[in-house]
Amino acid sequence: MSNDPYNEIVREYFTAARHAGEIADSPSGYFEDQGLRLRFTAAIDDERIKSMRFAAWGCPHVIAAAEAVCRYFEGQAVAELDKFPTAQIMVDLAVPVEKTGRILVIEDTVRSLRAAIHDRVASNKQD
Amino acid sequence: MTNFVYLDYAATTPLNPDVAQRMQGAAFANPASNHIAGRQSATEVGRAVAQLGLLLNASSASFVWTSGATESNNLAIMGAARHREHRGKHLVTMRSEHKAVVDVFRSLEKRGFDVTWLDGDSSGFLAADKLRQALRDDTQLVSVMHVNNELGTIQDVAAIGAICRERGIIFHVDGAQAAGKIAVNLSELPVDLYSLTAHKFYGPKGIGALYVADDVIIEPMMFGGGQQRRLRPGTLPVALVAGLGEAAAVAAERLDDDHRLLSKLRERLAEGLLSIDGVSINGPEVGGYAGILNVSVSDIEGESLMLALEPLCVASGSACNSQSKEPSYVLRSLGLSDDAAQSAIRFSLGRLTTMDEIEFAISHYRGAVQKLRLLSPKPQSAA
Repeated sequence: MSNDPYNEIVREYFTAARHAGEIADSPSGYFEDQGLRLRFTAAIDDERIKSMRFAAWGCPHVIAAAEAVCRYFEGQAVAELDKFPTAQIMVDLAVPVEKTGRILVIEDTVRSLRAAIHDRVASNKQD
Repeated sequence: MTNFVYLDYAATTPLNPDVAQRMQGAAFANPASNHIAGRQSATEVGRAVAQLGLLLNASSASFVWTSGATESNNLAIMGAARHREHRGKHLVTMRSEHKAVVDVFRSLEKRGFDVTWLDGDSSGFLAADKLRQALRDDTQLVSVMHVNNELGTIQDVAAIGAICRERGIIFHVDGAQAAGKIAVNLSELPVDLYSLTAHKFYGPKGIGALYVADDVIIEPMMFGGGQQRRLRPGTLPVALVAGLGEAAAVAAERLDDDHRLLSKLRERLAEGLLSIDGVSINGPEVGGYAGILNVSVSDIEGESLMLALEPLCVASGSACNSQSKEPSYVLRSLGLSDDAAQSAIRFSLGRLTTMDEIEFAISHYRGAVQKLRLLSPKPQSAA
């Protein structure tokens, strides 16, 4: 019986979080709640997410989930940000039930990013 | 070859090879049996009693063998409280005690006892005046741990015991982190009951002892035979008892050498960790037990720090509590914020710790803190 609270994916994403960082002068979504702080930034090209980065202060599941989110959305259409894969992340990362609230905070941060992208696009059109 | 660096000696220690050898050769018969084999076992037990008596400078008739410090604490506290409850139901202990003491007092509270919970100062020390003020005419028992398992604070059990003696109050000391690690002289200390366990000083798991001073009477918790003055019935595990005895003998021989080694290692570890921005020591900076160093670091999430520290084996809060994500109640009793308490890491060093391991620990801790700070979002206004 293993008492390891983290599965292999969490360990891999936590150890080698290649999407950690921030993209300067790009739309950004920020949220803090449930004892964690999270920011996503994304570079957009023709309605697609060219690249996405995260900065996180939280437990290993949060850091791994933020990395997973970046991997998931990178290359997809911006509109896909509305379809946050909560259930898939919970299962893939074996997130304990008591941490569900933290995954919902990540979802809120992605929504905040989506709103920031929308604002940026609208502002660019006005210019 | 191990794939980790073990700095969690306050949780448990590896079995000393000499102890293992002694256990393998131990007699098997029931020491209560009145035949040659039984008498051989009884001799083995007698030798262990003498070895433990030498380590703690205690009368050899005063030990009760138990399964470990948790059982010793339960027997001492429950046994003393029950035996004296007709005289009064007021008991005194500290909030920073180990769970094996805290939960016994909580259980007694549910049974109608009145418990006063004392806080230590910012390093965990209990002031004599604070204890005096807490005592009442109906106080029957005071229980204070000798060396705090999270902080390394060494309580002044001589002063505390003297106050208890003046008033005829039973004084129990949880010595799980002290026995075999610091000099303990039970012939001189005004202590009535003293709990210990073998696995904290390189002995086997599953065996401990409770010292009961000559004139102290406590109620048993278990029934079923007349062994051990009816305080703890059941056939003695002779090999485990022999192992505890041998571990005590080795500890008595090495006490000064261990202290010198641990002091040097702790000094370097503290110096190295304090050179990292935002690190502070919890508990006594000097004068505590040399084998424990507890530090917090600002603006770092504790659970991620623990994972980033692998392959270092350290503890976040007390070992028994490490699955809990709640900040340590011991650290909170010192007045630490939740953030500072949840980032706390206890390094505990032992006889086998090397300076290379200490250097690795410093450098690895520094790297983990740097990594997590890089991962953290900049403040919102700076984004």
